[in-house]
Amino acid sequence: MNHVHRRLGRRSRVVGLAAALAVAGLVASACSSSDSGSAAASAAPAASSAASEAAAGGDTSAEGPIRIGISLPLTGDFSQPGSEAKKGYEAWASIINANGGLLGRQVELVILDDASSQEQVVTDYNNLISQEKVDLLLGTFSSLLNFPASTVAENNQMVLVAPAGGSPKIFEANPKFYFFAQQATAPNQANPFVNMIAALPDDQKPKTAAYVTQDDPFAAPVIESMQSQLEEMGVKTVYSEVYPPETTNLQPFASKIAAAKPDLIAQGAVFEDGVSLVKSLIQVGYNPSLLFQTSAPSNGSQFTDAIGTGNENGIFYAVSWSEKAPTPGNEEFIAEYQKQNGEGLVPAEDAADAYAAAEVLAAAVEGTGGLDNVALKDWLHANSVETILGQLSWDEIGRPQGDFLLAQWQDGSVEIVAPEGASTNGGNVIVPKPAWQ
Amino acid sequence: MEIVQVLAFGLLLGGVYALLASGVTLIFGVLDVVNVAQGAFLVFSALFTWQIWDAFGVEPLLLIPVMGFLMGVLGWGIYRGMVMRVAPQGPGMTVLLMFGVALTLEGILNLIFGNKFKSVTPPYFTESFTIGQLVIPLPQLISGVLGFLILGGIYAYLRLSWAGRALRASAQNKDGAALVGISSVKSASFAFAIGAATAGVGGVLLSIMYPIYPATQYDWIARLLGIVVLGGFGSIPGAVIGSLILGMTEAFANTYLPQWSSLFFYGTILLILLFRPHGLMGAKTREDVA
Repeated sequence: MNHVHRRLGRRSRVVGLAAALAVAGLVASACSSSDSGSAAASAAPAASSAASEAAAGGDTSAEGPIRIGISLPLTGDFSQPGSEAKKGYEAWASIINANGGLLGRQVELVILDDASSQEQVVTDYNNLISQEKVDLLLGTFSSLLNFPASTVAENNQMVLVAPAGGSPKIFEANPKFYFFAQQATAPNQANPFVNMIAALPDDQKPKTAAYVTQDDPFAAPVIESMQSQLEEMGVKTVYSEVYPPETTNLQPFASKIAAAKPDLIAQGAVFEDGVSLVKSLIQVGYNPSLLFQTSAPSNGSQFTDAIGTGNENGIFYAVSWSEKAPTPGNEEFIAEYQKQNGEGLVPAEDAADAYAAAEVLAAAVEGTGGLDNVALKDWLHANSVETILGQLSWDEIGRPQGDFLLAQWQDGSVEIVAPEGASTNGGNVIVPKPAWQ
Repeated sequence: MEIVQVLAFGLLLGGVYALLASGVTLIFGVLDVVNVAQGAFLVFSALFTWQIWDAFGVEPLLLIPVMGFLMGVLGWGIYRGMVMRVAPQGPGMTVLLMFGVALTLEGILNLIFGNKFKSVTPPYFTESFTIGQLVIPLPQLISGVLGFLILGGIYAYLRLSWAGRALRASAQNKDGAALVGISSVKSASFAFAIGAATAGVGGVLLSIMYPIYPATQYDWIARLLGIVVLGGFGSIPGAVIGSLILGMTEAFANTYLPQWSSLFFYGTILLILLFRPHGLMGAKTREDVA
């Protein structure tokens, strides 16, 4: 989810700049303002070649390949995660085609660029359904784009499995054909951490906690839900604040938190704010026995470099995928990703999420033995699917029913410590958190 | 004690803001150009500081004169090569030009450094300075103090040196200055170079405090323009006062009402502009009088 956050941050920056420009324009008595043009760039179909190459290898089916329509933000604000999602989908297509395809037919991805635009994504999916006449759909990236996409899919009674898009807003419309292919929606991200705390021996359990979160649709619900669950368990809240997305200097917060001396600090962080809180805590010399942050710690070396290598030791975060997770197909996915994109390259979480979304769709096709989208929808509502993210299942409106993975930085690398089935180190947690370096 | 801590945070924050905003206000005072690329200049300097620090392990603060000089030269080049040619089309066009420069620089930085955060972490980056219960983070202390000192130096230079007085003369009355032999092109290039140099110095100071990536320029330019508008466009003392007010507002709001800190920051600007439409120290421009 980290990219989702960063993108949102970026949007607010763009708004900030727009405001700044408006001010500058006024001061300079600029008389004309320039609209930088519609974001809806023309989207040329870019059918993936991965599938057609494989198809040339000897698909003798008279029906031809199964065509899967996808719109992705390959340009614009969300281009970075959009491109990663494309890599994930393409890795899946190569693997499935090399293994004989779906229902004995090769798979062809028809990928359009929606330029990160809510208007274009609607045009794209309509186009895929009515012009390209694709058999199946896969989702685009982020809640912002999957929200309009889900209405198109719903109107056309086509299943839409989305790799990112767990905002509660999407589910308010009670979708029947939409499935979010991660383990949990935002508020449930806190659960594995809360469960871990519940399982700690009494002398290690926190008695007091400080909660601080950015006012972000994916960070705040995690911390709010954690706070209410821990309060029910009897953990006393000694500090609780929300700050706006522009806040990058957390020193005043660290001073207040240090004065309250909580055992646990939980922060709904995106990136810079997460780094700033850690640095500020080190500066005021306060080391809590438990530290949980959303997103920021999932940024690998960007995070450890920023807070000083070694200081990350013991920090917890929730994540949807790990390259080390012993889930079925994970190694195969990583190998294919590296074959296509470069040796030694660790796939982004976004690529893995897209791969998992495709696995979900494929499982439904295999499960029903056909391409009838109504049957696919019913099958997904009734069954669970093994993916590289772990086992996924959905409620009647496509909300996933699982739990995120709980990760902890341990001696320079990330270990998945919960849930048990996905753990990379047998579930060993480092508690209390080691001292700052 | 808490209040002293908050004042200290606000003061140090204000010192860095003051240096950064002075470059924008100086360029406007002399050239009537709103340099919306100042944020991009800052990030440019910060990322090159990171590059040199990362490759050679040089103490980043030693790069202050280097980055100041380099950004000064770059600013001079941008003025001579572009701004000077577009300026006769009016201030609106130069805003668009500088916006273009900002986006281009961001694109170049994206190509060179990638869309990833870079952090400069010298040994003292998590150290702090303690007096009683007062905790002052060392990078903030260094940056705030250096910000004030360097800005004081620039201000003294502008007040006392011939070049500085020529520059101010140009700012007050271009034709009059030309009559007594001051080349307006030279003063303008000089002003633009100093303005960019403050971003060069400021970039180094920012790099030891915050992780930087190319798009962080938007955060900074929004903040800097806010400060300059509050202090009055063209006035260096105004920029200092504006920086202190907003530094304090930010520190107080983050301590006592964090959820509302953005409202306080921009609300303060709005309130002051209601009573002083030209900012705290802003002079009325000729258009207003006419």
